[in-house]
Amino acid sequence: MTETALADQLRLLPDYLGHHLALTLVALSSGIALCLPLAILVTRVKSLQWPVLTVASVAQTIPGLALLALMVPLLGQIGFLPAFIALLLYSMLPILRNTVTGILGVAPDILEAAEGLGMTSRQRLFRVELPLAAPVIIAGIRTATVWVVGSATLSTPVGATSLGNYIFSGLQTQNSTAVLVGCAAAAALAMVLDQLIRLGELAVAGRSRTKGWLAGAGLLFILLSTLILQIPTARGSAAVVVGAKPFTEQYVLAEAIAQRLTRAGLRAENRSSMGSMILFDALTAGHVDCYVDYSGTLWANVMKRQDLPPRRDLLNQMKAWLQREHQVRVLGALGFENNYGLAVPRRKAEALKLATIQDLASHAPQMTIGADFEFFVRPEWAALREAYRLDFGEQRTFDPSLMYAAAREGVVDVISAYTTDGRIIEYDLAVLADPLQALPPYDAVLVLSPAAARRAELVGALEAFDGAIDDGTMRAANKRVDVDGESPAQAARFLLEAVGLSPPAKGGEGSDS
Amino acid sequence: MIRIQQVSKTYDRGRSFAVQGVDLEVGAGELLVLLGDSGCGKTTLLKMINRLVEPTQGRILVEDRDVSQVDPVALRRGIGYVFQGVGLFPHMTVAENVAVVPRLLNWEPAACRDRVDELLRLTGLSPRTHLDRKPDELSGGQRQRVGLARALAARPSIMLMDEPFGALDPITRDGLQREFKRLQQTLNLTVVMVTHDMTEALLLADRIAVMKQGVLVGTGTPRQILRNPSHPYIAALMETPRRQADQVESMLRSGGEGQ
Repeated sequence: MTETALADQLRLLPDYLGHHLALTLVALSSGIALCLPLAILVTRVKSLQWPVLTVASVAQTIPGLALLALMVPLLGQIGFLPAFIALLLYSMLPILRNTVTGILGVAPDILEAAEGLGMTSRQRLFRVELPLAAPVIIAGIRTATVWVVGSATLSTPVGATSLGNYIFSGLQTQNSTAVLVGCAAAAALAMVLDQLIRLGELAVAGRSRTKGWLAGAGLLFILLSTLILQIPTARGSAAVVVGAKPFTEQYVLAEAIAQRLTRAGLRAENRSSMGSMILFDALTAGHVDCYVDYSGTLWANVMKRQDLPPRRDLLNQMKAWLQREHQVRVLGALGFENNYGLAVPRRKAEALKLATIQDLASHAPQMTIGADFEFFVRPEWAALREAYRLDFGEQRTFDPSLMYAAAREGVVDVISAYTTDGRIIEYDLAVLADPLQALPPYDAVLVLSPAAARRAELVGALEAFDGAIDDGTMRAANKRVDVDGESPAQAARFLLEAVGLSPPAKGGEGSDS
Repeated sequence: MIRIQQVSKTYDRGRSFAVQGVDLEVGAGELLVLLGDSGCGKTTLLKMINRLVEPTQGRILVEDRDVSQVDPVALRRGIGYVFQGVGLFPHMTVAENVAVVPRLLNWEPAACRDRVDELLRLTGLSPRTHLDRKPDELSGGQRQRVGLARALAARPSIMLMDEPFGALDPITRDGLQREFKRLQQTLNLTVVMVTHDMTEALLLADRIAVMKQGVLVGTGTPRQILRNPSHPYIAALMETPRRQADQVESMLRSGGEGQ
């Protein structure tokens, strides 16, 4: 990766780091404020000990990503709040358990001495139990700090900006610089916070004023920088929020939309790498103003329809339904389809004489199929299996970015490819025809939230996308990221120019997310 | 000073008694030793005086006040207590340990400091070298002295002591015992001391109260206890120190070669 690639990434650091810090500090301080009293209560009322610690343990066993995703439907919100609650839950166990262990670990003869000398139970707590338990309690807080800083990177898919934006988009676009910057920044932050707490502990234990000042100054510096880094986002709340699902085409389109909006004088903010279902809910709730979805996805997953009308009918019915049920406006079909298709390496297709999915059926029992995380639970897969009587020997799921390589390397025989993915050409894969039309069409459609649909200047800036992008151009733009290593912003600039939405004279300005 | 009247303690609703029907008085300035085997109820009886344990029956008067009517926190701050195993607070310095009760009583910081210096000298420690040490930097004997200083800090007239010299080596114990006896007489302290060490009881006590299985079997001065034991159990207890003393004496007479 070049120096400019690194500079590109570092430009995003203040924004990501600021959000990450704010999220971490609020979650941690709330965790401490909640758990210390709770733990003290638990040491006084022994019957509470088991239930409280069990609940905290259970929260801990839920994988971080799942816990964060669970918070979205539970709270009916995306962004800061679900991320905050999930991280708060995540911070609880180490603080609770260490505080309880620390307090219960104070030797009984010390406690008897405290009581026998005439301390009240409050004085025993503050003068004897807490000071003696402090090293164990602080160890718990340090563990929680490291966990929360790390887990906060997972809040990107629920719509909270964090250092995870680097990691999620970097993994999807095979941009190792972005992934490295994200990981390094998160690790450095975890270490700095951990060492500051340790310094504070040493200052108190050793009664060192110098260390105390250092720890205090460090903490103050972090608090102030969090506030300063937050200012740009606090200002101008009317920014248009552009959502994107976690794959390359979505990043490129979100960038292209943001660039169009910027050119029209609007402030755009990208909210990338959000889960597919979370994104639609966020749109209806108005947390996201616009994003690109696909007709077949909305048809099957949002409208829960299983019939398959012809392409045009499906689009029209969907437009009407979204408007009626959710006041969501479909601004238009972008012009290209990004279908699900079964793809096999061309050499294998030729050797086995595979042209259609029908040809595949007899070989399927000896084959392994690879797909993204959702494909096997989507209605399209059920429809496909039924139509062609497919019965594969083995099914494996992959991160979309690794699925194509798996097909090329022969780890799997068939994959559920996206037809606009640039790697189909690059890896010499053949997409098998679907003569029974079991798979629905996936026209890319630009959808607007009810509030965004009412903003004339926004609609005006984006109307031009209607029918503007054909399959070939989209695939070429995707390839620039996935194969050539360009950033989504660069690919978006190429895309806008290629389809005539960006007069070259005015080109060049990017969008800052 | 302390009157214990028909006091009993049971932990199992009367099926067995840790302490049963004990009557006992301790006069002002008297050093009373509660003597008996481990599990005889002597420590339970001691702890009932400052309400670390509540009696099931009977009552205890301290300076003519029924302790069950006194706030336990205030009661404990007014009575010195030396704990078995000392129980110094490991996170506090020597000075802070000694000043615990004065601070609880909201003494002025300057008064606390002066009192700490005074007490360290009184208990044979040097304020300059020991003030800022932590308990784990002290020897066993020094820790015991700090424990004693802490118990004396708020100038109590009554001291409760639970095996105060139990964990010390014999020479340190002997020195500390004699120093304490002198201190007790100078300050005219009323002391109830629990021990299972017969020699300690005989050498320190003004009066000894012997307990067995929760019951008080007899009281008397060391001389009375040794010479005219009022109970076969007391006689049996005194057999050991008497025999040891005889052996030591005969060794001294014969020139000290073997038995």
